[in-house]
Amino acid sequence: MAKKIETLLLEFAKIHRFLMRFFREVVSPPYEFKEIIRQCYEIGWKSFPLISLTGFIVGFVFTKQSRPSLEEFGAASWLPALISIAIVRALAPLVTALIASGKVGSQIGAELSSMNVTEQIDAMEVSGTNPFKFLIVSRIIATTTMIPVLCFYVAGIGLAGGYLSIISKDQLSILSFITQVFEAIAPKDIFAMVFRAIVFGFTIGFVSTYVGYYSSKGTEGVGKAANSAVVASMFIVFIEELLIVQVLALMG
Amino acid sequence: MAASERKRSIIVGLFTFIGLIILVAGILVIGTQQNKFSKNLTVTTYFKDVKGLKVGNNVWFSGVKVGIIKEIGFESVENVRVIMNVEEKSSKFIRKDVIATLSSDGLIGNAIISLVGGTESFPQIKDGDEIKSGVSGGMDAMLATLQVNNENLVEITKNFAALSKNLLEGKGAVGAMMTDETIANNLKQSVSSLNGTMTQANQAVNNLVTLTNKLNSNQGLIHELSTDTAVFASLRESAAQLQGVTQTASALMSNLNQTTERLNDKDNAIGVLTNDPEAANEIKQILKNLNLSTEKLDQNMEALQSNFLLRGFFKKKAKEEAEAAKDSIN
Repeated sequence: MAKKIETLLLEFAKIHRFLMRFFREVVSPPYEFKEIIRQCYEIGWKSFPLISLTGFIVGFVFTKQSRPSLEEFGAASWLPALISIAIVRALAPLVTALIASGKVGSQIGAELSSMNVTEQIDAMEVSGTNPFKFLIVSRIIATTTMIPVLCFYVAGIGLAGGYLSIISKDQLSILSFITQVFEAIAPKDIFAMVFRAIVFGFTIGFVSTYVGYYSSKGTEGVGKAANSAVVASMFIVFIEELLIVQVLALMG
Repeated sequence: MAASERKRSIIVGLFTFIGLIILVAGILVIGTQQNKFSKNLTVTTYFKDVKGLKVGNNVWFSGVKVGIIKEIGFESVENVRVIMNVEEKSSKFIRKDVIATLSSDGLIGNAIISLVGGTESFPQIKDGDEIKSGVSGGMDAMLATLQVNNENLVEITKNFAALSKNLLEGKGAVGAMMTDETIANNLKQSVSSLNGTMTQANQAVNNLVTLTNKLNSNQGLIHELSTDTAVFASLRESAAQLQGVTQTASALMSNLNQTTERLNDKDNAIGVLTNDPEAANEIKQILKNLNLSTEKLDQNMEALQSNFLLRGFFKKKAKEEAEAAKDSIN
């Protein structure tokens, strides 16, 4: 029992050291801009089709599902307001984070752990490149910037999906839809969305790189790292969602 | 390698740029809707009760959104201070004497402030102005009226209840009718006799129909009367004659009248005869005497007949009569 607690505490210390090292490396030159751009391309652009399609489907289906219960008390005209609150406040960052942790997290975890297994990281260190800066910092920065951007796309596309779902039943002009959507949300909702997306992006990058970087040597370590990168980042994303909702509710 | 690197950078840049455009567009749309970027005037008003008004709710003027609520706070024990932002571009239509009332943008919608009134002669509102607040109409007034309606409804239903109770207990005409069997039976009889009457009436109507049919056909007196002009002319003539006759009759009647008037008077013979009872008695006496006299005269006359002097005359006369009778027979 005591050993278990000790291992847990050691793990926390390791995570803390990893985090501190990241902040140290991120501000100190040299900056690996090229690698960051490459990671942005891999993480942002490559997962854009998947995530935007998901966002569209979420918006469309959510609207379709909400309609009957709103119609029940004759409030179908409030659908745009409902969709906008649901998508901007909750769904856009969350859906983006979940899909990204599945696609990007597993990719980062598997990539880093296989580099670890084949000792490419050690080789990098020997050749004079800082592997932490080159591999970890670039990826975390890429997820932290790209996931908010993806989240904006998801919000826009999700609202478009909601609009399509509405006009399949009602006649609603796009102008009226936009007016109603933005009437329902306040600027603070958008800032909350951006804040959340940044936190989720950082979490996904951090958890995946940590799991990949410290993966156990051996072939099964790769699979394990890929798996736990997804599971851990999703789990932490949900916990953060819970905490952020509480904090935002307190802030009003 | 460098070319693909460049391509990648461009894609990432474009991707991020468009994403940020979505974000900025969203923020801008919200900002314009909530007047974050337009020039605003700050206007203050005081309410006793703001009824759940919230910061960010709309301010309407003539049903058009002209601003939002900026701040709500307590001023004193009785007053709540409401500070609102009003768009500068709308302010020239809003006058200083405008009145702020609380209303809502739908039946169950958000509370809003509605600016009402304003006269042209007053200057337009300026930054920092304080405007009056008024009693809100709308929902509250509606509910008050509804309350009166409800009370009336209670009264009406109460009356109905009393009425139906009386009905059930057989009080009053309708109640008696509904509960008393004899009345029902009478009613039934009346209805059946009415039925009979109606049958007869029906027959009468049928007869009438045949009659009118006959009248309409080209036969009969009425038709002749109504169609033949010659008959009509002669009728008119006879009517005129009749009129003459009646005039004569009228004259006759007046004469008669005069005569009878005279008869009633005592100053002429007939008048005396008819009106004077003494005279009547005398006349009666006279008549009696006359009767006696004639009887006696009769006797005298018979006696005279048998007198020898006159007997020859009578015999002769009888003979002549007998001959005349014989002639007439032959």
